[in-house]
Amino acid sequence: MNKKIISGISGIFVAMLLGALIMALQGYQPFETYAALFSYSLGDFFSLATTLQNSVPLILTGLSASIAFASGPVNLGQPGQFLMGALFATIGGLYVDLPPILMVPFLILLAMLGGALWSGIAALLRQWFGMSEFITTLMLNMIADFFTYWAITYPFYDQAAFSPMTPLINKSGWLPEFGEFNSSVIVMLLAFAGVWFVFTRLTAGYEWRITGQNSLFARLGGCDINKNYMTVMLLTGALAGLAGGLVIMAGPHRFLKGIGANYAWDGVMIAMVANNGLIATVLYGLFFATLQTGALGMELITAVPSEFIQVLQAAIVLIIVAGREYLDIFMDRTAARRKAKERSA
Amino acid sequence: MVDNIIEMNNIVKVFPPSLVALDNVTVDFRKGEIHAIVGENGAGKSTLMKVLYGMEERSAGEIIHRGKPIHFKQPGDAIANGIGMVHQEILLIPEYTVWENVVLGVEPKNFFGRLDAAKAQQQVAQKIDEFQFNLNPIAKVEDISVAARQKVEILKLLFRNVSVLILDEPTAVLTPQEIPQLFSELSRSKENGHTILFISHHLDEVIELSDRTTVLRKGQKIATVDTASTSKRELAQMMVGREVIFTSLAEKGHPGEVVLSVENLNHEHHNGHHFLKDIHFQVRAGEIVGVAGVEGNGQFELVNSIMGLLEHTRGKISVQGKDITNLPILDRRKLISFVSQDRSKMGASVTASIRENSIMTHHRLNTRLTRWRGRLMLKEATQKFTQEIEQQFAVSMGSMDNPFRSLSGGNQQKVILGRELLLNSPFVLLDQPTRGLDVGSIEYVHQQILKMRDEQRAILLISADLEELFRLSDRILVLHRGSIVANLPTDQTNLEEVGILMLEGKEKADE
Amino acid sequence: MKILIGLINGMLTGATPILLAALGGTLTYYAGIFNIAMEGMMLGGAFFGVLGSYYFQSWEMGILAAIIGSLIMAIIFIFFSVVLKTDEFVTGIGLNLFALGATTYMLRQIFQVKGAFSGPGIVSIPAINIPFLKDIPILGEILSGQNLIVYIALLATIAIVYLVFKTPFGLRLRAAGYNAACLDTSGVRTSRIRIWSLLLCGVLCGLAGAYLSLGYVTLFSENMSAGRGWISLAAIILVNGSPWGIAIISLLFGFSDGFGLLLQQYIPSQFASMAPYVATLVALYVYSVREKKKKA
Repeated sequence: MNKKIISGISGIFVAMLLGALIMALQGYQPFETYAALFSYSLGDFFSLATTLQNSVPLILTGLSASIAFASGPVNLGQPGQFLMGALFATIGGLYVDLPPILMVPFLILLAMLGGALWSGIAALLRQWFGMSEFITTLMLNMIADFFTYWAITYPFYDQAAFSPMTPLINKSGWLPEFGEFNSSVIVMLLAFAGVWFVFTRLTAGYEWRITGQNSLFARLGGCDINKNYMTVMLLTGALAGLAGGLVIMAGPHRFLKGIGANYAWDGVMIAMVANNGLIATVLYGLFFATLQTGALGMELITAVPSEFIQVLQAAIVLIIVAGREYLDIFMDRTAARRKAKERSA
Repeated sequence: MVDNIIEMNNIVKVFPPSLVALDNVTVDFRKGEIHAIVGENGAGKSTLMKVLYGMEERSAGEIIHRGKPIHFKQPGDAIANGIGMVHQEILLIPEYTVWENVVLGVEPKNFFGRLDAAKAQQQVAQKIDEFQFNLNPIAKVEDISVAARQKVEILKLLFRNVSVLILDEPTAVLTPQEIPQLFSELSRSKENGHTILFISHHLDEVIELSDRTTVLRKGQKIATVDTASTSKRELAQMMVGREVIFTSLAEKGHPGEVVLSVENLNHEHHNGHHFLKDIHFQVRAGEIVGVAGVEGNGQFELVNSIMGLLEHTRGKISVQGKDITNLPILDRRKLISFVSQDRSKMGASVTASIRENSIMTHHRLNTRLTRWRGRLMLKEATQKFTQEIEQQFAVSMGSMDNPFRSLSGGNQQKVILGRELLLNSPFVLLDQPTRGLDVGSIEYVHQQILKMRDEQRAILLISADLEELFRLSDRILVLHRGSIVANLPTDQTNLEEVGILMLEGKEKADE
Repeated sequence: MKILIGLINGMLTGATPILLAALGGTLTYYAGIFNIAMEGMMLGGAFFGVLGSYYFQSWEMGILAAIIGSLIMAIIFIFFSVVLKTDEFVTGIGLNLFALGATTYMLRQIFQVKGAFSGPGIVSIPAINIPFLKDIPILGEILSGQNLIVYIALLATIAIVYLVFKTPFGLRLRAAGYNAACLDTSGVRTSRIRIWSLLLCGVLCGLAGAYLSLGYVTLFSENMSAGRGWISLAAIILVNGSPWGIAIISLLFGFSDGFGLLLQQYIPSQFASMAPYVATLVALYVYSVREKKKKA
């Protein structure tokens, strides 16, 4: 536990130091920039609420990737599953009208269905034809991108709009807000709790984890590898789809072009830096949401372009992961050197 | 005047974080001698040579070669200085030909930097003749026998004009019949002025071949002796540190009902190659059936077909009368305990905790460990279960939540054995159960195997160690090219006969 | 007939960046590296290509800058995966993210625009007219007049085949992938061979990037590599690294690209744009089914 915290915090520190250096070299004020960054994302109630809301898709896609990677399937399709979930929820929201207490769960289920469907395609291609899900989920990402683009440009197009987007979904599907605080966060937390319970307490979760570590061992132990594979793919697809649905229902309430763009690879990135740990995924998700929310404020106050955050994020990921693996090697080597000194004395 | 070609002084090697593999070892090697290094598994023999060779970095100490201190950082340095090593696992590239493997790293070139294939082949052929190795330069390594591959490894070194040859367990991959040829090749090399260091734990060979012997135990050097003036018993005692009784055959069991029945089992590749051909045998309750054979003659396929990993087989496998040929693995596990030959690949997840490893299969079959019809795992119950294993099988471990790999090899095998035995299955499949273990652990595992037999379980034991097979089995099957070529009661055969059957497939007519 | 020629030219155009990146990737594939960073290297190359061409007003400098940009990415990969021994998958994804962020950021900072930068100031790589070939009826329109980089890609294919199968370096390169321990014990440092393969990959991906931003079109847009790095990875896997196989697969993808453009007259453009990705799935299907049959 300690090692994880040390490598996480020191990695962030080193990356931010590097970022400060780059900023200073370009003539910006690093300290003020970081101050603006954090005050804009955590400074007051409104910022905090925004950051939390922004963390929802990050955490959910992060959980999707983490669970998949820890259990074996290489599901890199969160971007596509996100879009399909968003699309399904949007369509449901346009054509069905129920009282909110039914509508919200209905749309949530639709979103999960959309995501699971998309990941399910990749899973079936693997089970039937042996096609590696690494590549199929990537290709399906691009296909989903174009497909949803077409969907909002032709069949579900809002005639009144100037750029491709759907009309607003029915009000009953809009996620309620409590003051500044958006209830999508509650849904996300519920999803996390459910997933955590399954992964750590249920027999299925045990089998998934062991399969992810050594599938041959799990298989010989009697685990049904194929069934587990399908379940994990569907579940992680559903999580990514849920993220898409929540973004629509909590935010613009309609499907716009580019709605998934910001979350493209973030889920995978968070899973990597969290080393597929569920709680770490949530924490890193919150952290990156903080960075992304603060980016706009940063630009307003010290003129550092908000795109800088993307560079900072990638640097943080690389440094933390590299540092974590190297720290292990380094600490082991130091212990070994000490022991050798004892023996040769 | 003694001419030391290599001196290793006060060598210490610690593997991160705290495994002391070599503890202040001092030893010297004379020019032109054949020097054996013996010790049981884990004594440090391989590590010592790897440190010399530059494959491992020493933690402390110095090495002197031809009077000068040296520090090899990588094998290339050692080779450049005339020292070469042939490893226990043959390190060749199967997809390449013999000549490509031999010249790798010292390829002859012509202009434009092009690899001169013709010249390379010619040079290799020349060297083959010089040492009378009987190899085909353009044959692909994956197509030649294991003994031939070993020759290629040696050739590789001779090609680079090494004068010191280090061999790590050279007879491990050979059958009894191939060993004399290796010995004569080594003797010839010695006559040519080469110095040979070889690692072994087969004392018969050590006595026959070496001039001097160094004994290591738990990373420390115990002694260096003139082989002619010592004996197997003395060496063994130094290796283990106590009186070793050279084991006789254990008391035989009392076989009862047929438990495992394999009938007409066939498995073939679509190009016609038979992996398993008309396999037909039975194992009874209270009986240990041993399977001997050169690796790659069907053992892998036999194990996999019994466990359920192999598709496209014809024939029938049944346990206690129940046909398991097409059953999913979980259903088979209700009747079969399985100790695989490779712990880290098949028998455990080394990153998972000890507890998580110990409950595998039990998590589905033992209702005390779960609730909600097997869906929810009860942590406390699993902890108690792991403790049971710890106590019953004398496993020495710290916390059960430590990763499995923190256990020593012997303790890992105990956990696996415990887990499998507590399934209380009528049939037990053991594949190389004592590979890589130290003498103490080997004795323990043998005891457990005999105990299982006395509990009237049916045991199929696959092992590359003929002595182990002879010690434990009631009957021995010999696999050759996928067929069973012999099914003999142990007391009616001997090591030599089985060795011939393993190699040739049938009894040779009186020679 | 005009359509056919257009289709073939389109095929060559679409194939070139994929071919170059895949050739680079195949070197690392043979060396036993799990390299998924071609996307990031290409993107870095594309951006620096525009940068070099714009500021030095020459396409030669553009190509050079593109190669340097891609090499920077390659060096970062080497630093993390070879020196620090970080997991190659993670390093690759991290590098792709970094390239995306850095090029987007630099686009904003240096050119003061968001989304894309194009303009008359960028000097594009010229097409080459070969004197005799261009006069051949029909074939002439294909063989001559292609962009310089297309010809380079062709030469590169031949050069890579020679390098990998006829030189000592190639023997060692493949050995590194087959059995790294064996290579080390033969006296050759595997890490050194791997570093060289990554550097060469950087050069080739740089050329691919230069083609994207200075040959194919003359602009840089955010995330312009658009998944081509992934397609080239698929190509490598499908043919187990064989350079000629890669050439054929690249042509296939290039064809689907051009075919997609053709289809745009009949079906909504978005479906046409899906063509290369669907083609990849189909190719993977064929490959996977064949592999399954082999195992049976």
